[in-house]
Amino acid sequence: MTFRDLNKKCSCLAKRIQQCKKKGNCIRHHGPLSENCQTGKLRICKITGDRKECAKMAALGVLPGQEAELLCPQNGSQCLLKIHGGTLSLDQQTSNNIIVESV
Amino acid sequence: MSTKSITMALAGNPNAGKTTLFNNLTGARQHVGNYPGITVDHKEGHFKHDGHRVSITDLPGTYSLTAYSVEEIVTRDFLTSQKPDVVINIVDASNIERNLYLTTQFLEMGVPMIIALNMMDVAKDRGLEIRTEKLSELLGIPVVPIIARSGKGTDELITQAIGVATSSRVWEPRDISYGEDLDETLMDITATIEEVSFLSSDYPSRYAAIKYLEHDDEMLRKGQAANPELASKLEQSVTEISDHLQKTMEVYPEAIIADHRYGFIKGILRQGVLTHKFDTDRLYTSDKIDKVLTNRLLGPVIMLLILFGLYQFTFTWSELPVAWMASLFGWLGGVVETNLADGMFKSMIISGVIDGVGGVLGFVPLIMFMFFGIAVLEDSGYLARVAFMMDRVFHLFGLHGSSVMPFIVSGGIAGGCAVPGVMATRTLRSPKERMATLLTVPFMNCGAKVPVLVLLIGAFFADHKALYMFLFTMLAWFVALVAAKFLRMTVLRGEATPFVMELPPYRFPTLRGLFIHTWERTWQYIKKAGTVILGISILLWALMTFPGLPQSELDQFEERRVQLQTTLTEKPGQLQAALLVVEQEESGATLKNSIAGKVGSFFEPVSSYAGFDWRTNIAMLGGFAAKEVIISTLGTVYSMGEVDAENSGSLGDRLVNDPSWNAVVAVSALVFIMFYAPCFVTVVCIAKESSWKWAFFSMTFNTFFAFLASVAVFQIGGLF
Repeated sequence: MTFRDLNKKCSCLAKRIQQCKKKGNCIRHHGPLSENCQTGKLRICKITGDRKECAKMAALGVLPGQEAELLCPQNGSQCLLKIHGGTLSLDQQTSNNIIVESV
Repeated sequence: MSTKSITMALAGNPNAGKTTLFNNLTGARQHVGNYPGITVDHKEGHFKHDGHRVSITDLPGTYSLTAYSVEEIVTRDFLTSQKPDVVINIVDASNIERNLYLTTQFLEMGVPMIIALNMMDVAKDRGLEIRTEKLSELLGIPVVPIIARSGKGTDELITQAIGVATSSRVWEPRDISYGEDLDETLMDITATIEEVSFLSSDYPSRYAAIKYLEHDDEMLRKGQAANPELASKLEQSVTEISDHLQKTMEVYPEAIIADHRYGFIKGILRQGVLTHKFDTDRLYTSDKIDKVLTNRLLGPVIMLLILFGLYQFTFTWSELPVAWMASLFGWLGGVVETNLADGMFKSMIISGVIDGVGGVLGFVPLIMFMFFGIAVLEDSGYLARVAFMMDRVFHLFGLHGSSVMPFIVSGGIAGGCAVPGVMATRTLRSPKERMATLLTVPFMNCGAKVPVLVLLIGAFFADHKALYMFLFTMLAWFVALVAAKFLRMTVLRGEATPFVMELPPYRFPTLRGLFIHTWERTWQYIKKAGTVILGISILLWALMTFPGLPQSELDQFEERRVQLQTTLTEKPGQLQAALLVVEQEESGATLKNSIAGKVGSFFEPVSSYAGFDWRTNIAMLGGFAAKEVIISTLGTVYSMGEVDAENSGSLGDRLVNDPSWNAVVAVSALVFIMFYAPCFVTVVCIAKESSWKWAFFSMTFNTFFAFLASVAVFQIGGLF
C-alpha cells in the first residue's frame, strides 16, 4: 500500500506519517500545531476553539502573529512550545486549536 | 518609631518564588516546589521590620487577573476586598516578558505596588541584563532586584515596600491603549459605569469595563447581582463588539487586549531595560535537557528508571539505620520489662507506647531517605516534566493534566499525603474532572502507608524490596486511573478540558532547600507519631485490654499454673516453658475477649475470605483513623501475646512466624490497605472540598473495591 492509498483511507494518520517520513515536507508546515513534527521556529496564525481557552492562551502570550519555537513535538499528542521566554506544555486538544506555519 | 501594622500581599506568576520569599520573611515553612500550582489558597504570616509590624499574605500564582481559574479569583478577590497597603509583585527576571503581563494588570487596577525582580542570578546566567532603574522609571513604581532563595536584596525590598505602604502617594490606575476600536468602546462603557458608580466600591471603572470586554464570568455575575438592568445593557454592548471582531478578525477582544499588553511590555523592555548578552535564539540548557528527558520514547523509560532508582536508594541506604531503630525500641522494651512492676501500666507502656508508636517511629530513617529523594526530584523541576509526560496517559483515563500534581502530592512516588493532594485539585476547572481526581488521589501510597508497605514487603519479600515497592507503586497508579475511568464513564461523565502548563526551568537544588524539605516532612511524620498515633495507640491498647477475662476463666488459668508447678517442680526448665505457654494463651484469650477483639472477631467470618484473622481486622479498623495506626496496632496486637519484650523480635519477624500470615496474605493485606477508605482527616477534607455525600461515597466505594480486590488476591493466590 502506498502513502497515497493510505491517505485515501485515513488521511490524518497518513499525513502525519508522510510528514514525518519526509521531513523535508515539514519545513513549510501550515496547519494545527499537533500535526507539526519538526522542532524549530514557527509563527502562530490562528487560535480556534472555546473562548475561555483562547483567552487563557492569549494571557500566556500565545497570540496570532507571535513567533514561537517547538521544542518537543509529539506528533498529535502533547508538545513543548517555547514562547515569550517560557516553556509551555500543551496537550493535544490545545495544540489542535493552534494553527501555525513554519518560518 | 511607628508601630502601625502594615499589610502586604505577595503576588506573581506561578513558580516566581513567592512562597520562598514568604518563608524567608516570616520564618514559616510553607511548602515550596519547583513546579507551578503549589499554593492554591492564600497564607498569612507576620514579621517585624525597622519597628513596623508587617502582616504578609502569600497569594496563589496567576498569569492574569481574569477569572479563568480559582487562583485568579482568589488573588483578585483578596486584592479588592482586603486592599493591602502594598502589593509585592514577584517577577521572575529570567522570564521577565511573561511575568510583566500580570504587572500590567496590577497597574490597571491601580493597586499600590512594588516589583521584586527575583532570580537575578538565573537571568544573569542566561545572559539577560536588566536595568532596574530604567524599568522603575518607565513603569512608575519601585523595582528591587532580589534573589529570594539566598535572601539577597530582601531587606531593601521590605524597606522600600514599607515606604510605598506609608507614603501619601495616590495610586491611580494606569491606562494602556488597546487600539482605536477597543479604546472607543472602553470609553463608552467606562462612562456608563461611572455615571451610576457601578461596581465602583471594588474596581476602578475602566478596569471593570476591560473585564466586561474580556467576558470575565465573575465580573458578569457581580454586575448582574449589583444592577441587572445596567449589567444586561453592558453585556449586550460587549457582545456586539465581540461579534464584530470575530467576523472581521476571527479573534475575541481578550486576544486583542492581551496583544496590546504584550506590546506595552515589549515597548518598555526595548527602551534599554533588557539586553541580551547571548544570541536570543539559543536554547537554554533546560530546553536541551527537556529534549531528552521528555522525549516521547526515552522520557517514560527514564521516568520509570528514576522511580526505581529512588526506591533502590531508599532501601539500600536506610537498611542499617532502620535496624538500629528496631534494636533501640527492642532494648527500650527490655528496660521497661526489667524495671517496671507487672501490671496495667507496664502493659500500656510496652504494648501501647513502645510497640505501637515505636513501630511507626522505627521507619523514620527510611522515610527521611525517601523524602530526600523526592525533594531532589521536586526542587530540580523534574516532577513538572513527569506531569507533562503523564498528561497523555491521564487523558486516556478521563483525567486532566492538572490532575497529575494532586496524584504526585498524594503519594504518586510514595510518601506524600492525600490531604494536600485533595486540596490541590482546586486547580482543576472542570467540576467533573476535579471530582474524579479528588476521589482517586487517596489510592496513592501516602507517607502513612509507606511504613506498612515497607514492613510487609520487608518481611515477606526481603530479597526484592525495591522491586516490590516499585510494583506496588505502579499498582496504585493503575488502580487509581482505572477507578477514575470508571467514574468518568458512569457518575462523572463529561467532556475533557484542555491542559496547559508552564514548565519551570531545571534548577540545581540547594542543600539547604533539600534538608528543609526533607526535615519538614519527616518532622510532620514524627509529630504525628508522637501525638495522634500515640493517643490512638493508647486508646486501642485500652480497647484491646478491657474488659479482660471473666473471673472464672482467670481462675482456670491460675489452676493450670498451680497444677504445673506441682507436677513439674523437679524440672525447672520444662516448668518455665509450660508456664510461658499458659501465659501466652491467657494473653491471647484476654485480647480476644477485649472490646477490640470482639469487634475483630465479629468481622472475621467475612474478612477470612481475604485471609484476615480477627487480629488483622483490629489493625485495619484502626487504620480508618490514620494509616500509621495499622503498624502501631499490629505492633500492639502481636506483642500482647508476647511475654519477653526484648527477645520477641521485630514486628516483621513476628508476622512471618505467625501461622495466619504468609506471602499471599501479605499481598492481600497490602492491596486492602492501599485501597480501602481514606484516613479520617482525608475524608473530612474531601467533604470540605465537595460534600459529605462524596466523602461517604469515597469511604464505601474504596472499602468495597479494596475488599473485593483482596478477596481475589487471597483466593487466586491460594490456588498456587
